[in-house]
Amino acid sequence: MNVEISDLTRRFGRTQAVAGVSLETGPGVFGLLGPNGAGKTSLLRMMATVLPPTSGRLRLLGRDPGSFGPRREIRRRLGYLPQSLGYYPGFTVAEFVEYFALLKEMRPGQVPRAVAATLEQVGLGDKARAKLRTLSGGMLRRVGIAQAIVNQPELLLLDEPTAGLDPEQRVAFRALLRDLGQRATVLVSTHLVEDVGAACTEVALMERGKIVFHGTPAELTARGEDSAAAGDAPLERGYSAVLAAARSAAPAPAPAPGSGPAVAKAPPA
Amino acid sequence: MTTAGVQSSPPVAGRQPARPALIVLRLPWLYLVSRRVPAALGLIAGLGVLLWASLRWHWNVAGGPAAQDFIPLAIEAGAAAVVAVTTYGPFGEPERAAGRWLPYLRLGAALALTAAAFGALAAAAAAGATGAAAGGLAGGTLALLRNLAGIVGTGLLTAAAAGGAFGWVGPFAYLLVTEVALTGTTTTPWVWPAHPAHDRGAAICASLVYAAGVAVITVRGARNSGRGPSPE
Amino acid sequence: MTAVTAAPARPRAPRAASAVPLATARLLRIELRRNAMPWILPLIAALFWFDSYRPSTGQPPLYLLRTFWNMGQGHTIIDFGPFVAGVAAWMGSRDGRRRTRDLVTAAPRARYAAQLATWAATAIWAVGAYLVFVGVLFAVYAHQGVAGEPPWWWVAVGATAVAAFSAAGFAVGALFASRFAAPLAAFGGFFAMVESSQTGFRDTGGWALILPTNSNGNFQPDSGIFYRYLPDLPIARLMFLAGIAVAALGLLGLPAWAGGPRLRRAAAVVTVAGVAATGTAVGLASTARLGPHGIVIPALHDAASDQPIRYTPVCGRAAGVPVCLNPAYQRYLADVTAALAPALREVSGLPGAPVRVSQVGALYESSSGVGSQAMTIAGHPPVLSLPLGAAVVTLPGPDGHRGQRGAAQAFDQSLVLLFAHAFAGAGNGAGTPAQQAVQAALMQGMGVPIADQPAVLSLGPSSWAPATNATSGPVYGAARRLTALGPAARRAWLTAHLTTLRSGQLTLGQLP
Repeated sequence: MNVEISDLTRRFGRTQAVAGVSLETGPGVFGLLGPNGAGKTSLLRMMATVLPPTSGRLRLLGRDPGSFGPRREIRRRLGYLPQSLGYYPGFTVAEFVEYFALLKEMRPGQVPRAVAATLEQVGLGDKARAKLRTLSGGMLRRVGIAQAIVNQPELLLLDEPTAGLDPEQRVAFRALLRDLGQRATVLVSTHLVEDVGAACTEVALMERGKIVFHGTPAELTARGEDSAAAGDAPLERGYSAVLAAARSAAPAPAPAPGSGPAVAKAPPA
Repeated sequence: MTTAGVQSSPPVAGRQPARPALIVLRLPWLYLVSRRVPAALGLIAGLGVLLWASLRWHWNVAGGPAAQDFIPLAIEAGAAAVVAVTTYGPFGEPERAAGRWLPYLRLGAALALTAAAFGALAAAAAAGATGAAAGGLAGGTLALLRNLAGIVGTGLLTAAAAGGAFGWVGPFAYLLVTEVALTGTTTTPWVWPAHPAHDRGAAICASLVYAAGVAVITVRGARNSGRGPSPE
Repeated sequence: MTAVTAAPARPRAPRAASAVPLATARLLRIELRRNAMPWILPLIAALFWFDSYRPSTGQPPLYLLRTFWNMGQGHTIIDFGPFVAGVAAWMGSRDGRRRTRDLVTAAPRARYAAQLATWAATAIWAVGAYLVFVGVLFAVYAHQGVAGEPPWWWVAVGATAVAAFSAAGFAVGALFASRFAAPLAAFGGFFAMVESSQTGFRDTGGWALILPTNSNGNFQPDSGIFYRYLPDLPIARLMFLAGIAVAALGLLGLPAWAGGPRLRRAAAVVTVAGVAATGTAVGLASTARLGPHGIVIPALHDAASDQPIRYTPVCGRAAGVPVCLNPAYQRYLADVTAALAPALREVSGLPGAPVRVSQVGALYESSSGVGSQAMTIAGHPPVLSLPLGAAVVTLPGPDGHRGQRGAAQAFDQSLVLLFAHAFAGAGNGAGTPAQQAVQAALMQGMGVPIADQPAVLSLGPSSWAPATNATSGPVYGAARRLTALGPAARRAWLTAHLTTLRSGQLTLGQLP
C-alpha cells in the first residue's frame, strides 16, 4: 500500500476540515470527489506533506512523514499539483519544470532529458521556451502537471488537474492518468465526475471532512440507480444520491452568524 | 460539477436593508482594503514617529544645513513610496472591466493618502519642534507639502510606468538626485527640495509632477505587470 | 498529451556526490537568468554617474581625492544599497507573492536551499554590477591620468556592503511577503546610510567608526601615494557587513518551513556567528586610534602596512634649486617650481637656504586639527621638505590651475606662505612675533604684498590665522621697517640674525 491513512483529522481554528478519514490505496488511479469545502484539498495537502495533520496516522510509501528524514524521502518520490498553481511569470516552461526537477533532487544529468520528455507528454514540447506569462490557463495547468510528473513519482497528488483544459486535452489527460496509474499511486481530486469515471479504478466521496463513500466507479453509479437524485449521467446521479444520504443521516450544522440559509436537503432516495 | 443538493434559497427573513450612507462608503472601503491602505496608514504613522524622533533628538544636525533637510526628505520619500505601492491592484482585468467607478476610486485614494501622509508628517514636525532642545523642519510645513506632493508624484508616475509594486523606485531615485543637489549649488526648480519654501518655480514644478502623477494613475492606474497571483 | 507505453518502474540509483554541486549550479543558473536585479541596474548606473562620478571630476587627479566623496563617504554604497535592498526584498517575497510556497515546500530539497539560491543570484547581480561600475570608474580615472593607488580595500568594503544590503532586503521580503516589503527595505537602507553619514560627522570614534559611510579616518592626505591605505578599518568594516549578511541569511533558516531540525540548528549557529562577527567588529573599532597614516586597530594592524611606497621622484629646478616630487604629483611640478622660484630666489645665499626641495608625505594628526603640514628645512646641507598632500594646499583642478586664475594664485601664495614660515623657523605654530614679522617681510619680497597677507594667512592652518585682518600693529610695523631697509641691508641683517630668530630668542624690538 502506498497510502495508509487512519483516522486522520485536520483542524483550522474551530473548523474541522478533515474529520477522521481512513483510507488505504496502492498503485492505480484513485479519485477523490466531493463538493466545495468537503476537505479534499486539505487531505491532499496533508498527503503532500505540506500540511501536518492535527491527529491520526499517515503513512506514505511505507514511511511516516512526521519525521524529517522519511518526509524528505517521500518528497523525492512524490509529485504534487496544487489546486491553485503558483508560478513565476518570467520563467520559461522548460525552466519552470527544470527548477522543480532540481528541487526534487533528480540527478542533474537526467534533468534535461526528463524535462523534454515530460513536456512532450503533456503536449507542450513546442512551448518549452515560451514564458509562462504568455500561456493560457489550460497550458499553465499542463505546466503544473509536468512539474508534478517530471520525477516519475510513485505517489502523484493532483488537485483539480483538468481545470482549464479543453475536452480534447482532458481525454488525453485521462489516458495519461491511466498510464501513470500502472506504476504509481495517483490521487486525483476533482469536481468533474466524468474524469473519475473515465480514469479511476477507485473513488472516494468526501462530505464535511469525512469519507462517505469508498468503492469503484461502478459501485458509485449503482447507488444512483434507484434514486431520484439529480444528475445527467449515471455517475452523477450516484454522486448526488450518496451526498444526499450523507446529509440526511448527519445532523445539520448550526449556521455561522451572518451566513445565508443552509442548503436545503435533497429528498430522500 | 453536479447540481445535486443545490436549490434556490428563500429570501433572508428579518434582515434590515443597509443605510444608504453605508452603502456609499462600502465600495471605497473595499477598494482601500484591497490596496492595503489601512496598513499603509499605519506605516505612514510610523514614519511620522520617526520624523518626530529625528527632530526631537537632532539626528540630522551634524552635517550642516543640507543635512538638516535630508533626513526629513528621506522620511518624506518613504511616505511617498508607501503611497505609490498602494496603487497596485490585485484583481487585474475583472476590476478594469467592472465599471465606471474605478478612476474616481484611484483619484480619491491618491489624494487621501497624500493628505494623510502630509498630516502625519506635519503633526510629527510640529511635535518634534517643541521644547528648547528640539529642532524643526527647515522651510516649515509649506516646504513639507511641496516636497511631499512632488515626491509622491514621482512615485505615482513610476507606478504607472513600471507597476505599482515598483512605485517606490521613483521616490528614492529622486531622493538621491536631491542629495547631490543639496550639497552643490543647483538652481533648477525641478529639484524643488533645494529651493526655499516660497520659491514659486519649485512649487510649480512639484505641483506639476504631482498633478501628472495623479492624472496618470486616475486614468490608467498602475501598470499591470502580468497575470498570475498578486504581490500580496 | 500522450500516454507513453507502460514501462516497469526503474530502480533508483544512489545519488552521486557530484550531483549536489551540479544541481546547485543549475538552480543558480536559472535564478541568474530570471532575476529581477538586472532591471534596476540601468537606473543605478545613471545614479552612479550622477552621484559618484560627476562630483568627483572637480577634484584634482589623485585617487585619494577623486574617491573621497564616492568611496570615502560611501556614495557608491548609497547609490546601490537601497535599490538592491528593495529588489532583493521583492525576490525574497517571490514564493509568497506567487503562491508557490506549497510547491517548493513539497520538494525534498530544503526550502532554505532554494531561497539561498535565489539570494545568491540576486547578490551576484548586485555585487557584480557594483564591481563593474567601480571598475569602469577607475578605468575612466586611469584614462584621465589620475595618479596614486586606487583604494582597493574600500572597493571591497563597498562590495560587501552591497551583499549585506541584498541579504537584509531578501530576508525582509522572505519573512514578510507584502507589497510593502520592498519599499520598506529600500527606505531602511536609505535611512541607515543617511544616519551613518550623520554619525560620521558627529562621532569620530567607537562604534560610529564601523559604519560604512563614516568618512573619518578613511583617507589620509597622501594615502596611496607615499604610504598605503591602512587596511585596519576596512577589515573591521568587512567583518561588520559580512556579519550582517550572514545573520540575515541565517534568519531565513530558522522558521519551521525552512527545512529539517539539523538544518535549522545550523541556521541558528550561522545567525549567532553573524551577530558575533558584527559585535566583534564594533568592539575592534572601539579600540581604534588615529595614527600618522590613518586609523590603526591594534588587533588587526600589520606592521608591513606601515612601509612606505617606493617611488622614483620627478625633478625640476626653481631658481637653480632642484625640486623633486612624488611622480603622482608630476603634473604639478611646473606649478610648484614656478611658485617656489621667487621664494628660493629671495633667500638664496642666506643661512639655511635650501639646496634642494623634496616632497614628503603629508600626515594627519588630530591634535593640531589639520595635521602637521608645515614645510621644514633641515639637514646639512639644508633640504626643504615639502608636504603637498590634500590638507596642506588646495591642489588645482584637473585642467591645471594655470587655467583657473583664482586657484593658481591661491596655490602659489600657499606655497610662499609655507616656505616663508619654515624659513623664519616658526615651525608648526604661529611663531614668535619676531618670526611673524620676518615671515611677512620675506613674503613681501617673494611677491605677496603685506596688504594681502592676512587673506593669505587664512590659507594656512587655523592656528596661524591672525586675530584680525588688519595689517596695523607692531608685527606688520616691524615687517614694513625690515622691508624698507632695502635688499642688501635686509640680507645682511638676516645673515646676522637668522640663527637667533629661528631659536626663538629674537624679540620684536630687536628688529630694525
